[in-house]
Amino acid sequence: MPDMIALSHPASGHPQQRQFNPYSENGGTILAISGADFSVIAGDTRQSEGYSIQTRYAPKVFRLTDKAVLAVNGFAADGNMFVKQVRQRLEWYRHAHAKDMPLRAIARLIQTMLYARRFFPYYVYNILGGIEEDGSGAVYSFDPVGSYERESCRAAGAAQSLVQPFLDNQIYFKNQVPQPGHPHPKHLPLTTVIQLVIDSFTSATERHIEVGDGLEMFVVLAKGSPLYGLENIDGVQEMTATNDGERLFVVRRNLKRD
Amino acid sequence: MFLTRSEYDRGVNTFSPEGRLFQVEYAIEAIKLGSTTVGVRTDEGVVLGVEKRVQSPLIESSSIEKIMEIDNHLGCAMSGLTADARTMIDHARVTAQNHSFTYDEKIKVESVTQAVCDLALRFGESVHDEDAMMSRPFGVALLIAGIDELGPQLYHTDPSGTFVRYQAKAIGSGSEAAQAELQDKWHSKMTLKEAQTLTLRILKQVMEEKLDRHNVQLAQVTKEKGFEILDETSLKTIIDEM
Repeated sequence: MPDMIALSHPASGHPQQRQFNPYSENGGTILAISGADFSVIAGDTRQSEGYSIQTRYAPKVFRLTDKAVLAVNGFAADGNMFVKQVRQRLEWYRHAHAKDMPLRAIARLIQTMLYARRFFPYYVYNILGGIEEDGSGAVYSFDPVGSYERESCRAAGAAQSLVQPFLDNQIYFKNQVPQPGHPHPKHLPLTTVIQLVIDSFTSATERHIEVGDGLEMFVVLAKGSPLYGLENIDGVQEMTATNDGERLFVVRRNLKRD
Repeated sequence: MFLTRSEYDRGVNTFSPEGRLFQVEYAIEAIKLGSTTVGVRTDEGVVLGVEKRVQSPLIESSSIEKIMEIDNHLGCAMSGLTADARTMIDHARVTAQNHSFTYDEKIKVESVTQAVCDLALRFGESVHDEDAMMSRPFGVALLIAGIDELGPQLYHTDPSGTFVRYQAKAIGSGSEAAQAELQDKWHSKMTLKEAQTLTLRILKQVMEEKLDRHNVQLAQVTKEKGFEILDETSLKTIIDEM
């Protein structure tokens, strides 16, 4: 909650300073990894402030279209409002241009929306995942004022410092020397990526007090891509809404609640 | 229609009892006085051609500009009150730039056409503390040519703010004869080269003066090179081959 801080004694007659802090930090962690023809976007569902858990189920990962999923982390109220506005812009775009906004256009739109608030920013870190127009899996990560980059993987939020080095090692093979004649693969298979995401969150739950309760993991598959055994994963549910070809799934898991 | 003139032909915001807006209709008439402009769509790209009326030998014909670039993938040819077209093309350019700034992609041909047509209807009396707007309808018709993810396209807009997509379209004073000729000669397998010669042939037929590289202008939008106005040398080659 925003808090008021009064400095100096109000009755003393001395100059007083009052401060209003409009931001909170609601913990939690988000993460996205892209493959050759898929993208996985995940986040935990705990929302906390300080040592208190406000709720054990507050989604941080949102379906925008069948080929775009947005994860928001930081100040939950700003995040929810931001997603609401992005969705409105997507609908306006659909009406004006008679097509769904492509992923890279959504990425640029998010930049302009964030930068428009350069001097009163949305206190959120965004990660956008999905399928590009060429059918490749993509992840875009943003800072709160809109600086963005396309990457293969990114973690953000409370446990970023725990998860990102793990991903650097497991996805980018940092500090691993390839065997002669066996270079590191450019893209990992979906099953491996899903296992990495689940492991990242169970580990973060162990070591970070603000991470836990539940895991929501969205998987976006490109047009014509096989299921890669996704249908056999526990707790999977299809969310596809259109017939454009891309398919969207969500996997919900429990994380430790302590 | 001039016989039916009445009180209703003055206000730009008043329908006549028969349900007509005379000022808009008169604006459409103004285009029929303009120089002939032709647009031809092919699978390779879109060709635009205009007649430049060089009324005096002292006119520098290169200063007559009737084809303009909207964006790298969009071009536009005009007929009618060409000064009015500047406002519209300026609006189209701003819209196209804003789109690529916000969405990191090229604007669709239909979207930019829609934006121009939105402006075409923004005339009338401006309300107090509102920006001054156009007091009358724009007296110009545009042929908007471009390429986007749906391929090469050609749109026609008129002062009523209506737009229609065409395979080939002629506007201006010689448009009736030119349109009939387009209907006769256009076919779906046409190459860009054929479209260039067809455009010039039609302009030649409807022009009063003898066609040469000074009194016509040709432009094209292709996938490879985007929008380009052909220079006098390449124009001369095409005229000679015609």
